[in-house]
Amino acid sequence: MPRTLLAFAIGFGAALAAGWGAFPRVLYQKKVQPIEFRHKTHAAKSGTSACGDCHALRDDGGFGGIPATASCAGCHGEPMGATKAEAALVNDYVKPHRETPWLVYARQPANVRFSHAIHTRLAGLKCAECHGAQGETDAVKPYEVNRISGYSRDIWGRSMSRLRRAPHEGMKMTDCEDCHRKRGVEAGCLGCHQ
Amino acid sequence: MKPSRRNLLALGGGAMAGVVFTPLPWKLLDDTAIWTQNWPWIPQPARGPVEVKAAACSLCPHGCGLQVRMAAGFPVGVSGAPAHPVSGGALCPLAFGAHQLNWHPRRLHEVRRRGRAASWDAASMALRAAAAEGPVAVIDGRPGRGASAILRDFAGKSGAYITAPGPEERSLAPYAAWSGVPASALGYDLESARTIISFGAPLLDGWGTPGRFTRLWSTHAAGLGDPELRLIQIEPGLSHTATLAWRWVPARPGSDAALAAGLARVLVEERLVPAKGPVPATSVADAAGAAGLPADAIVELARMIAQRAPALAISVDGEPAVAALNLLLGGGIVQRRETAAPQAAAIAPRAVVIDATVPWEYEPASGAEVFRFAAWDGGGSKADWLLPAPGFLEEITEHPSAPGSAVASYALSPALMDAPADVRGAAAFVGGTPADAVLARCQEIFRARNGGLYRRGAKDAVPLASLESAARLQDELLAGAVWVDDPAGSRKVRCELKEWPAAAAGTHRGGWADAWSAPVLPPLATKLYQESNLREVPARSRI
Repeated sequence: MPRTLLAFAIGFGAALAAGWGAFPRVLYQKKVQPIEFRHKTHAAKSGTSACGDCHALRDDGGFGGIPATASCAGCHGEPMGATKAEAALVNDYVKPHRETPWLVYARQPANVRFSHAIHTRLAGLKCAECHGAQGETDAVKPYEVNRISGYSRDIWGRSMSRLRRAPHEGMKMTDCEDCHRKRGVEAGCLGCHQ
Repeated sequence: MKPSRRNLLALGGGAMAGVVFTPLPWKLLDDTAIWTQNWPWIPQPARGPVEVKAAACSLCPHGCGLQVRMAAGFPVGVSGAPAHPVSGGALCPLAFGAHQLNWHPRRLHEVRRRGRAASWDAASMALRAAAAEGPVAVIDGRPGRGASAILRDFAGKSGAYITAPGPEERSLAPYAAWSGVPASALGYDLESARTIISFGAPLLDGWGTPGRFTRLWSTHAAGLGDPELRLIQIEPGLSHTATLAWRWVPARPGSDAALAAGLARVLVEERLVPAKGPVPATSVADAAGAAGLPADAIVELARMIAQRAPALAISVDGEPAVAALNLLLGGGIVQRRETAAPQAAAIAPRAVVIDATVPWEYEPASGAEVFRFAAWDGGGSKADWLLPAPGFLEEITEHPSAPGSAVASYALSPALMDAPADVRGAAAFVGGTPADAVLARCQEIFRARNGGLYRRGAKDAVPLASLESAARLQDELLAGAVWVDDPAGSRKVRCELKEWPAAAAGTHRGGWADAWSAPVLPPLATKLYQESNLREVPARSRI
């Protein structure tokens, strides 16, 4: 009887270790961004701290997203230093006028419509409330892609259990619903899915 | 120490129990569900610049204004165009997903002859051969387009050009018979009415242009105890419209003619309206017996109708007695300022060409060879030829006046996506050039210089006279503008009614072309959708 219990406990413990330890490592694959980028340095050198100065809303309310390579060319038309990353930016993207294939942490499925204008202008949300304090980071974090769904780990959030998450962690539909419920704002199905 | 079978089972049991307390099964379930959305054969819109283009819906003849959200040049979302002069920003729920219909599994991609693959050449030869043997009838679901002129010209040589009236147009058939004006040029002046008596017409549930009556109702009636606009719904069942109406009168099925006659009798006898035209022979007691209502209720209803003028009576199926009641009340039927489709003489055609604008359910009950154009196979067609037509926003689409509208209008939708290689419209198939026909229609409107142009999002119209050419008008229309005639251009219809009409007789043109029941909704609207609560009923939360 004690041996049976021991075997059960070993199985139980092994499953816990696999589920909490090994499974996330197998599920997510780490990828590096095509070039290095430092939000903090750019903010300091350009003298700006507002996200919208680079990630701007267009006149029609659409979100401009990550600035185009042409925006980089103003300063990085020629290498500003001798680092490999600088050479890669200038030679691979700026000079050939190619867009940088950034891996977007917040990318949602194609059936989701999200208006940055409504959330930032009308609701007055700060960018960091959903994206975290990206503007203060010294390097872009690795992009972790879910091998099954193909989306970023940031959509689910760092915590596998989704318990005790920081407010900006997680961008699943339930997170949108929770926030809307808390603020008493109805969006309906067609508010996000068109 | 050798592990026993019991130990292995316990180990497995422990693992099974343990895994439940990890994220593994739950996360796998979630990810697998998302994985199934991304299978390679599921169409995915491309990633790219997002822009919003103006268009109008072509699923039914009402042409509601659309804002089409495009990503990388592909439509990915549809919403109503605010301030659109025809639909006022409203859409039926089907239109919200219309951009997905081009990928519908029942999309027609090839010519079919009695269920088997065929070619355009074979279809063309078959039509030519049929035309040589006898007259050809052409059925058009949306008269008033440039393409309609091509179809009319083709039919005019030896056959008949016939329009397939929708429910709103068929409800106007008695007025067409009494005035001589084709029903396709008639409309209801809903905007002036202060009391509307609907004999079964689902005014708040898919009848007429989405947004036209619902907006009026939400502004002047919804949630008000004594509304400015009174809607009296007469029908046996408690429909959506009946639920929301100011008064619901549960009359027996098939009693519309008797009840209309009874109401007319009270209105005349009590001098509630100026006496004009014939008086029905039906007594109030007879009407009460037929409708299953107390006679007092009919008298009270007539007084209620007369209390708040102008009143307008609408029948769902073109009941002549309801139309006669409406004339007694003052009419509210107008003739739009536009060239109406001529009435075709009844013929026995050798072949029938059905345009893609005709609802799928239209089945001509004749022995003719049927050439049916459609973008989607609605199933169960008896057509000899199924000919694939361009789908939603795959070609420049014309939107003439909506059926039942009080004012003439015209809009164009640009082609927002490429059509499949082997599709053609009926106008091109019979030898016309649709692009030239569109320009010709614009020239016709431009020459008349009536009305104005509502540019995208604008609340006020720009006078048409301010444009320099018809080509400029076409460009403006393709950019999202809508031409709307001056309301003063529509005039009240004069009907000559010598005697009170018999119930539902003698108002339809007759023949096989009218012997069908037009649906309110396009062919792919499912029964589930039709019976759901998805249809637009504004201010539902206030009820």
